[in-house]
Amino acid sequence: MAQRTVEDRLREEYFILLPEARRVLEELETEVRHCLLPLSSKLNRYERIEVTSRIKDCESALGGLRRRQEAATFDPNRADSYTLTDLNDLAGVRVLAFPRSRWIEAHGCLRQCFSSWTSDPIREDEDDMTREPLAFKYYGYCSASTTFHAELQVVPMLIGLFWEIEHSAIYKPSPELKGVAASLEMKERRREVYQALKGFETEFERLVQRDPLKKP
Amino acid sequence: MRPVTTKQQILEQAGYAYSFNRLSYINRDARKVFSLEFVQDHNEDVLKAKINEPPPPPGEWQFFFNSEPSEAVKREFSAALS
Repeated sequence: MAQRTVEDRLREEYFILLPEARRVLEELETEVRHCLLPLSSKLNRYERIEVTSRIKDCESALGGLRRRQEAATFDPNRADSYTLTDLNDLAGVRVLAFPRSRWIEAHGCLRQCFSSWTSDPIREDEDDMTREPLAFKYYGYCSASTTFHAELQVVPMLIGLFWEIEHSAIYKPSPELKGVAASLEMKERRREVYQALKGFETEFERLVQRDPLKKP
Repeated sequence: MRPVTTKQQILEQAGYAYSFNRLSYINRDARKVFSLEFVQDHNEDVLKAKINEPPPPPGEWQFFFNSEPSEAVKREFSAALS
């Protein structure tokens, strides 16, 4: 009989964890919405805060864990050492906020509500810790599970929507292409996109704030 | 910040192509594999030196990883390359 592969073991683990992941997600999304309520109820018409949530699908979870190994290769001799509970983003909630000032405010609210969670910001350049992160990211435990972490992202809306378009247009239909984004050249191109989106948003907000017809 | 494009250029000019499945730069003629981690963590001079090392014996592959890959990983990789 053919031996079970690392992937076979992980697929089994995924479906054992799935009910718990659903409970975690429901709890986390509810807490996030509750925490943001004072802010989201006072937004101007052009301002937005959106909360989305998702559980990683089985093959994405396997792919995510595999890409964390050097050269994205599981060692069959260490099959027992791999577990999906090492992923922080098996269940995750993403908050998108527009414009940037609301992003900062939303982050402030959530940081208070989730003060025990570990900060793991998403940076354009992992080596440059001095610049403002691209997005705030935290992981921690919900009361629904202490088996695995859940993840909370607070993302400027334009960047978050770019990620969603990229994901749905490319990686959702072809998950095997996920590694393309990790290439050195693509990282440069992505950096250019981020700079453009940041510049667009900063200028938008500047003009809105300086509107001469704005009532004091 | 490392000039990543330069590293990519060095590798591409030496006949390496990026494998998005294995997150590695691979040259089938030279039978060498550079993991993305290794490329990111070493400077251009190291990359050039490794590229210019003599090729491995016929039928074998040379792996430049941050952590020495196990024989099982090498077999997995070689199977994917054959």
